Amino acid sequence: MLGLIGKVLITLSFLSATASLFLYYQGAKNDDDSKLKIGNWLFGLKGLFLTAASAVLVYLLFTHQFQYYYVFNYTSLDLQAKYLWSAFYGGQEGSFMLWILFSWLFGFGLMRWTRAPYKAPVLFFLALTQVFLLSMILGWDLGFLKLGASPFRTIAEEMPNAPFIQANPDFIPNDGTGLNDLLKSPWMMIHPPILFVGFSMMTIPYCFAMAALWKRKYNEWVGPALPWTLSANVSLLTAIFLGGYWAYVTLSFGGFWAWDPVENASLVPWLIGTAGIHTMIIQRKSSVAQKSSILFAILAYVAIVYETFLTRSGILADASVHSFVDLGLYNQLLAFMLVITGVGLGMFFWRYKELPSQEKESQILSREFMTFTGAIMLLILGLVIILGTSSPIIGLLFNDNPTPPEISFYNQWSMPIAMIMAVLTVIGQYLFWKKYNWESLSSALVYPLLVTSACTILTMIVGEVRDPYYVLYIFTAFFAVVGNAWVMIRLIIQKPKLIGGSVTHVGFGVLLIGILISSAYNKPMIDQTTAAYNERVKNGEVKDEMGFTITEPVTMLNLELKEPKIVNGKYVVTYVGYDLVNQNRPGQQTYKVLFEPIDGGKPFYMYPELYPMLATSTQDNVQWSVDPDVRTGLISDIYLYVAGSSYVKQRNDIIARRANINTTATPEGEVPETQTIRFSKGETVVVGGFEMQFIDYAMEDTTALPPNTNIGVRAQVKLAHLASDQQYMLEPLFALYNEDGDTYVFAPEVELPNHDITFSFTKVYPESGEIDLTITGLDEEYQDEWILIVAEEKPLISVVWLGTFLLMIGFSVSILRHWDRERKKNKD
Amino acid sequence: MNLKLIFGVAAIIGFTSLLMYNFGESISTYTNFEDAAEMNSAHVAGVWDDTQDYGFSMENKLFTFYMKDEEGETRRVVYPKPKPNNFEQADRLVVIGEMRGETFYASDMLMKCPSKYNDADPSKFVNASES
Repeated sequence: MLGLIGKVLITLSFLSATASLFLYYQGAKNDDDSKLKIGNWLFGLKGLFLTAASAVLVYLLFTHQFQYYYVFNYTSLDLQAKYLWSAFYGGQEGSFMLWILFSWLFGFGLMRWTRAPYKAPVLFFLALTQVFLLSMILGWDLGFLKLGASPFRTIAEEMPNAPFIQANPDFIPNDGTGLNDLLKSPWMMIHPPILFVGFSMMTIPYCFAMAALWKRKYNEWVGPALPWTLSANVSLLTAIFLGGYWAYVTLSFGGFWAWDPVENASLVPWLIGTAGIHTMIIQRKSSVAQKSSILFAILAYVAIVYETFLTRSGILADASVHSFVDLGLYNQLLAFMLVITGVGLGMFFWRYKELPSQEKESQILSREFMTFTGAIMLLILGLVIILGTSSPIIGLLFNDNPTPPEISFYNQWSMPIAMIMAVLTVIGQYLFWKKYNWESLSSALVYPLLVTSACTILTMIVGEVRDPYYVLYIFTAFFAVVGNAWVMIRLIIQKPKLIGGSVTHVGFGVLLIGILISSAYNKPMIDQTTAAYNERVKNGEVKDEMGFTITEPVTMLNLELKEPKIVNGKYVVTYVGYDLVNQNRPGQQTYKVLFEPIDGGKPFYMYPELYPMLATSTQDNVQWSVDPDVRTGLISDIYLYVAGSSYVKQRNDIIARRANINTTATPEGEVPETQTIRFSKGETVVVGGFEMQFIDYAMEDTTALPPNTNIGVRAQVKLAHLASDQQYMLEPLFALYNEDGDTYVFAPEVELPNHDITFSFTKVYPESGEIDLTITGLDEEYQDEWILIVAEEKPLISVVWLGTFLLMIGFSVSILRHWDRERKKNKD
Repeated sequence: MNLKLIFGVAAIIGFTSLLMYNFGESISTYTNFEDAAEMNSAHVAGVWDDTQDYGFSMENKLFTFYMKDEEGETRRVVYPKPKPNNFEQADRLVVIGEMRGETFYASDMLMKCPSKYNDADPSKFVNASES
């Protein structure tokens, strides 16, 4: 019922969006204000319907109505409220809804602050994108055409051929499959919304550029478009940063960037948007670059739609092997992309002849030329990344079954481009505020260049940077930092409101330094034996059992419980033990690893975690997931995760043994070991990683025991698991009973939680007061407690974050400045 | 002016060809174990053969498993890193490395998971070393 209401609401939302589109069109075409007003009402109405639909979806999620596929697929009964909330945008359909909602809210900003003649056409293009986005979640089946995938479809609609649906069409599962454990993270609550804020804001420069083309007013639009573009930029940057940080600290990606298609999907629009900001700024200042401002504004949004198409249509998947949950949106996404691109570029080329062009060529040493070249560099970098991400399509030119490019492809191209950009930022910033010729510029740059050289040489010595290419890169990066800081300091004294640009460019230089050092000088933490082994691997001296030369060095560290190892000549590292924690994630182990710096620094602990993935684990197949620990430092981070442990191995062995017993009728060989230990009262014995103490025994009341029982004794045994410091108290029973004149021993097994070991109290020696305890499942040999960790020293990650923050601050200062100017204009 | 235009066009063509050449070099083609024997660095796609033994050996720090390629050929694969997080979940594996005799030595492994991890991107490849 509610699902039907939801579907109707989305349909109404779609219809009012379409109606507002027509009215905006007429309003824009005839400059008809009354049409525009009705359009605005319909625009508002559309959002209200969608808000109501979202509320229904959230309600369904919170009330666990698992007959709906979306609810079933992304949530479960035990999900915490905050993650039920984030499940709203956890799937494709919900994320479309969130995207449209943000875009709708910004629409009100446009109604309020946009001036004629842009107002109506800007809203027209905004409405156009919303009609397309809304069509993705319609869920209409027109017979010949399926339009969109509704978030409100039921399980029966999703899987009509599933046997349980055939048997019972009203089948409602008891529980959902649950949100993936990796998404149960606080980052999940903020990263996607900020990303969609960025996506929807990046629509606005596109709308302005299109309005400019429509109304043939090619200059004034950049004023109001600039603060929006800058804001879109900051949002995307924040989202990229949050995503990178999330990947680094909890998803164990091993770093903050992996050139993954999804990451690229947010980076490319940011780069092109930033290129647009550059040309808009010089257009506003000097009335040049109208063509490129319009083009970049169009391309930034086209990049968003194209990357949306790539990541959501399934085209990146290799169709031959794969059948994912395909929402069947391929054609719709393709149409969306083609219309946005076709209308955008079509209008651009249609008006191309009448677009203002510069009468006189800019000199090379002018702010216009430098800024424009910088923008082109940003565009080229964006295009290179698009090319790499599009390998499943463009790679077809080279072979039939193309793989993604190697990571080195991205690195090889982005490094030189970044170096050129770094140099351009300084020259551009100098020229931005003052005219120079070659001579005066050279003399102005003498001191910055001296400082840059000093910094570079210092880095070479301290950081042992020897690779000449890296040295050159570091030099250009320092040049960007120092040169722009020079400009910034001068501006702080003269016009502090205008420092946005120079702060941004300093941040860019800082970011470049951080990126290179943290990725190129990343060092695995290994002990001396492994280091010696790796040295032999490097020299090609190690052969495997087949006689082949081993080429891969070992980057893991094996630690035995309480046996310190010297790592990288810097730390004494000890595995101290683990705790079993059952609070947030049932079955989670928190390992304790002690680091003692050899140079006498303060010792510290790291707490990596391992836990069973609930969403995908079953009784017979537990899948372990890692949660790394990162120790953040100014100079260098330590990144560490547990790749395996004796505990996990034991658990897996137990599971395998159970599975064996279930499948094979006669378990062969795999009989659990049994041993009997004789204890005297108060004695402590250490066996198989446990410390056992027989404290006392007490007579059991025979009335509580089965009939015919003559005597019942209960022993109290205290157990301490050495590795995890867990304490257990067991009270196994020993009883004698008569049957048909014979005496039998009754010694039921007591199971030890988490360990699959059973204890039974099998004998009493009345004369000495000793007892026999029979233990099953405990290996007679003492099983060493160990962990296998992967640890890395990552230098200057902090500098990456610093650079990112400086970029955010710089852009934000610029937003304030441009917004301030626009607001004053609006008042006039 | 004309000279500038020619220069610009030449620069664009030069840049584009270099880029495309490099791009072509850096992508490879998915192949099978048999053809991989003749290649230095091969991308072999396939599925995990869960009927045979697999696991990480503490002695030589290698993760060993059997993989069936798209032709149905099964080979032993060794991977010099710990078993990736969601290895068992992956419904498709891509190993990158070379054949040595009857064993494939992977230097890298990509897993494609039925992605509930990120439904917005069902095609996402998760790098084994990243997960």
